Amino acid sequence: MSGTKGIRKYRNIVKVLAFLRRNNKVTYGVIAYLAALLLSAFVLVAYSPRSKVVGYADPLLPPSPQHLLGTDILGRELLVLLAESVINSTVIGLIAATIGTLAGSLIGFLSGYYGGKVDYVSRLFTDVFLSVPSLLFLILISSLVRAVTIVQMGLLIALFAWPWPARQVRAQALSLKEREFIYLSELSGESKLEIIIREMMPHMIPWMTANFVNAFISAILTEAELSILGLGPQTEMTLGMLLWWPLNNAAIYRGLWWWWAPPLIALIYLFFTLYVVQLGITEIINPRSRVV
Amino acid sequence: MSATAKYLIERFTIYLLTIFVSFTIIFLVPRLVPGDPLAVFYDRLREAGAMQGVEQMIEEYKRMLGLDKDIFTQYVSYIYSLLRGDLGYSIGNFPAKVSDMIMEALPWSIGLLSMTTILSWLIGTLLGAISGWRGGRLSRVFSIAALFLSNLPYYVLAILLVFVFAYTLRWFPYSGGYSVGMTPRLSLDFVLDVMWHSFLPALSIILSSLTWWYLSMRSMVATVKGEDFVVFAEAKGLPQREIMWNYAVKNAILPQVTGLALSMSRIFVGALITEVIFGYPGLGTLMVTGIRTLDYFLIQGTILLSIFAVATATFLVELTYPLLDPRIRYGGG
Repeated sequence: MSGTKGIRKYRNIVKVLAFLRRNNKVTYGVIAYLAALLLSAFVLVAYSPRSKVVGYADPLLPPSPQHLLGTDILGRELLVLLAESVINSTVIGLIAATIGTLAGSLIGFLSGYYGGKVDYVSRLFTDVFLSVPSLLFLILISSLVRAVTIVQMGLLIALFAWPWPARQVRAQALSLKEREFIYLSELSGESKLEIIIREMMPHMIPWMTANFVNAFISAILTEAELSILGLGPQTEMTLGMLLWWPLNNAAIYRGLWWWWAPPLIALIYLFFTLYVVQLGITEIINPRSRVV
Repeated sequence: MSATAKYLIERFTIYLLTIFVSFTIIFLVPRLVPGDPLAVFYDRLREAGAMQGVEQMIEEYKRMLGLDKDIFTQYVSYIYSLLRGDLGYSIGNFPAKVSDMIMEALPWSIGLLSMTTILSWLIGTLLGAISGWRGGRLSRVFSIAALFLSNLPYYVLAILLVFVFAYTLRWFPYSGGYSVGMTPRLSLDFVLDVMWHSFLPALSIILSSLTWWYLSMRSMVATVKGEDFVVFAEAKGLPQREIMWNYAVKNAILPQVTGLALSMSRIFVGALITEVIFGYPGLGTLMVTGIRTLDYFLIQGTILLSIFAVATATFLVELTYPLLDPRIRYGGG
């Protein structure tokens, strides 16, 4: 039994992938993002972990054949720090986007499908959380929870990543609920939870994917913002922390371009690739939205 | 109950709940975090070498903050002091009251952000109206660029502007709100100096928020352009200019106006990273000072103010929606 179930699951994943591949933008965007990840992983393997240690080389060396991106104020190899921060920022994005999308979708399904009091309460909370400036809360919480780790950062951001998916999935669930195949499964005795997971969820996968990419982008940017404000992970490197260091040491005014420019370019690059993916998914969902 | 009353009550409930939930979270978070909310403060005192009287001082603080009472009493007095507008004392800058520090920084943020918000709204809306009305390839190219720019984090632009205009070209000062050595007073010199210092931060904010206004106005005008009454006006032979301003723009401007009202509430939040990058003495910098000096009450105070301002503005705008546009009915969904 579990074997066939596994194969069926696998087939579904292939179907979703094939579905997403219909759009060039999604393919190219994903490939470009994965390329950055691979490159970072390669750098981390190629360099010894000692190059991230304080005092590994002389501080603030400009780029040279020995130090491809130069070194920072503590004499650490900037290329290695950049590689590490690309991977760590991705991990934060994945954690926040996965939890936010799944929790939000579940709330949306329950709210839309059950209706009544469940709907009223969850809609109220969604509205309240949507109108609360989430960044401010994140600032407050992370200023108390000192010395966050990568995982904690992801979880913190996930706390505020659920309301959008919840609202969107709810709207879709409301219309799905009235379709005939849902009536049929109700009549054939499927439980409500089964209907949500087995009947409604597959229809929502494009929307959930779009939400996931959205949440992914905004999690990476939120991390950067929190870290630039001085609230990032203290012991691990992220793109935000890699920007906090030069900004906090007036690197722009001191002409230390190799210190602040690479993380900024990396941030824009990751953002751009994900943005292209997002455009592609929007086009798949709504072909009329084609802009380019 | 009429639909109007129902709508008003629902909006008001959400408004109160937003504030209540936010303030309660802000109250609970420091007490849920393991350890003492004042732990950081003790460490600072110890680092500063204060040996004598630390115990008494901590006791005094605890009494002052009501930390020796049970959580319910604490909560009631917390809400009560908020109602009186009392935000407590700064830890990093002790005898100073948080509300006074905010009052000092607030005019800077209000000045910078109200100016930039209105300017970017005007420019963006105007460009959007023209681009939406005319259409064509140039308009498409612009909107693709704007679409990308509008999503780019705002501080990216700020960093690039500092690099180009302050570091490379040296046209503008590096940071601060006014030149070192000048005393803030109402004179032409001082005002010009402030404007010179705030040019780059203002430009970065205008450029990054302009794209939003441009995009929304463009799509609204393009939608209205296809409406029957516009076609009818064209058939009547009215001049294009008149149709654009009196027919298309007039109908498309409403969402822009409400958007403007909503974003005006942001002036109480400050332009966080932009202020930090330019060393601008507003609320954002104040908040970061709080973060840097581990001044919990300063952070809490600025955040409470921001949340209150944003929620209130949202509520007021929602109340006036139906007044501005009779097409919107109260209630509905």
